[in-house]
Amino acid sequence: MLLYWRHRILVNEKMSELKDCPPLKYYDFKPVDHVKVCPRYTAVLSRSEDDGIGIEELDTLQLELETLLSSASRRLRALEEQRQILTDWQDKKGDKRFLKLGKDPDLAASSRHSKPKKQKLDGKGSHGPGPGPGRPKSKNIQTKVQEFEFEVDPQDIPRNPKNDAPNRFWASVEPYCADITNEEIRVLEELLKPPEDEAEYYKIPALGKHYSQRWAQEDLLEEQREGARANDKKKNMVGPLSELDAKDVDALLKKSESQHEPPEDGCPFGPLTQRLLQALVEENIISPMEDSPIPDIPGKEDGAGTSPRSQGKAFSVPHTRSLEARIREELVSQGLLDSDERQGVGGESEDEVLAELQKRQAELKALTAHNRSRKQELLKLAREEMRKQELRQRVRVADNEVMEAFRRIMAARQKKRTPTKKEKDQAWKALKERESILKLLDG
Amino acid sequence: MALVSADTKIGELLNELHQLIKQTQEERSRSEHNLLNIQKTHERMQTENKTSPYYRTKLRGLYTTAKADAEAECSILRRALDKIAEIKSLLEERRIAARMAGVYSDTDPPRKTMRRGVLMTLLQQSAMTLPLWIGKPGESPPPLCGAIPASSDYVAKQGDKVAARVKAVDGDEQWILAEVVSYNHSTNKYEVDDIDEEGKERHTLSRRRIIPLPQWKANPETDPEALFSKDQLVLALYPQTTCFYRALIHTPPHRPQDDYSVLFEDTSYADGYSPPLNVAQRYVVACKENKKK
Repeated sequence: MLLYWRHRILVNEKMSELKDCPPLKYYDFKPVDHVKVCPRYTAVLSRSEDDGIGIEELDTLQLELETLLSSASRRLRALEEQRQILTDWQDKKGDKRFLKLGKDPDLAASSRHSKPKKQKLDGKGSHGPGPGPGRPKSKNIQTKVQEFEFEVDPQDIPRNPKNDAPNRFWASVEPYCADITNEEIRVLEELLKPPEDEAEYYKIPALGKHYSQRWAQEDLLEEQREGARANDKKKNMVGPLSELDAKDVDALLKKSESQHEPPEDGCPFGPLTQRLLQALVEENIISPMEDSPIPDIPGKEDGAGTSPRSQGKAFSVPHTRSLEARIREELVSQGLLDSDERQGVGGESEDEVLAELQKRQAELKALTAHNRSRKQELLKLAREEMRKQELRQRVRVADNEVMEAFRRIMAARQKKRTPTKKEKDQAWKALKERESILKLLDG
Repeated sequence: MALVSADTKIGELLNELHQLIKQTQEERSRSEHNLLNIQKTHERMQTENKTSPYYRTKLRGLYTTAKADAEAECSILRRALDKIAEIKSLLEERRIAARMAGVYSDTDPPRKTMRRGVLMTLLQQSAMTLPLWIGKPGESPPPLCGAIPASSDYVAKQGDKVAARVKAVDGDEQWILAEVVSYNHSTNKYEVDDIDEEGKERHTLSRRRIIPLPQWKANPETDPEALFSKDQLVLALYPQTTCFYRALIHTPPHRPQDDYSVLFEDTSYADGYSPPLNVAQRYVVACKENKKK
């Protein structure tokens, strides 16, 4: 028995030795000390070209070179062998060891012969650390090693990279599958609150003064001020004039405007009338207007001549207005003009802006309405889901209770006694509770 | 003439050899740094007594560089050795040519008047300078390296040393150390000269009676299978002679420069064998014949 144990210990030691390191022999790869061993060679080396080698030295040289070659060759073989061992060890742990068994006899043979190599060649060849006697033992032991290998391997084999994919997957999916919290409902409600500044988007700002008028006013003000300043320098009367500035300016402007009251180029007719006339009149810029044949426009004009200036009379404004209105009606009934078309007070340029503004406002309104409806729906669903979550939680609790009751009953059965009424009741209660909750959930 | 050009060639080769040797040392000093690193890493690993992947990869990298360095060093060394072999073969050719031409240089006295001692020294030198076979990883030793026999269709070249079984004057058959002069393909016979030319004439022998001697020494450290093993029956050159006798290997060499230790069959000893005697690798060949007296 003891022998067996000792053997086992020995085996284990060997095994651990083999486990820890490849069976390298750590040869001593010192090169030949040629100064000591090959004197002729050394002498030749130190000689210059001229001295050369004598024929009589050939023999000794030959011997010495042979020595060197032999040691180099042995070194080569040892290196190759060791390298092979390292490669084998590194590549395959389990299988190769079988093959190494086959190699062992060769190694044993060569190492046995390597031992005898002695003093003359010493210090340069391979010293296997006790390879001779040690060899047969290790050969026997290696057969045993294979069995133990499979225990040894898991440590040596580099850890397989843990399969991380499922963890990563669940982590990425987490935000979507997590329970809804109150926090989120609050956020939704916040979103639903109508924004304060909404009304602003729908305002169509007043047109305000036309820029021409504004600029005219400003210019006038500016000139007045400069004039006042000039006067100030002379007379030093700042106060009253400055007050008058604003009002004065307006009055001035109004006066100038009233002078301009007679419509531009003395044409009181509405735009439609003008356009109609323009279409009918053939304008010939080169020849004066009197020469061009002016078709007589029947009926509609009330003393409105083509050259109102020449007449110098003030026109009857109401007539032009009714004229305009009648022309408009006629055009609309003919289908030439859309009834919807409305001319802004300021002119055509602002119509586009207004139209665009109105279009955008409509869009905004529609979009906002849509968003709101969706948010409300989402809120509703979220609340629903919260309720369900609560129920599910209760189901889980009920499950646990059922499991607990089950365990109690099983324990009772194991102990070979029938479960008590209390336990049965508990079990039934738990089951029923669970069922009711589930029903609620489904409903 | 041919001799002169051979001289210049030899001179050139010697120069090249010198270059190679210098290169070798450069290479070696370069790779030393890396080896030191390996040493340090080893020490660290051993003190900590564990190998983290960092150490392993580091070590692997270091090993790979050191391997490349070692390979480079090996290749240069091999080139240097080849160069030496080239020079030697050139010298050998020169010697043979000189012998043929009947011109003897001072350093190479005529064989006929060679003293025994000189011959033995020559033989010893020849054994020592037999090139050592150092194979690249994965290469196995070739025929005529150590104990590896020659291929069956091998033909020894002129100048190769062989063990030749000759019939002596008195009818005895002996294996002698001989040098191949030529080979006759038509008759499949070698012409060989006794290395010890004292009075022996040229022999003409069939292939069966010729065993080529090894052309490389086997390296006990890398190619032990190319050596004769203990108790193997061989023909070995008896020390201080030029004849081969049957012997049993006592111990193979441990180092490349070592000799075999053999037991010659010798009836004058009690157990039938002589005490262990050293014989160089060059002069030990496989014994094929059955014992006959």
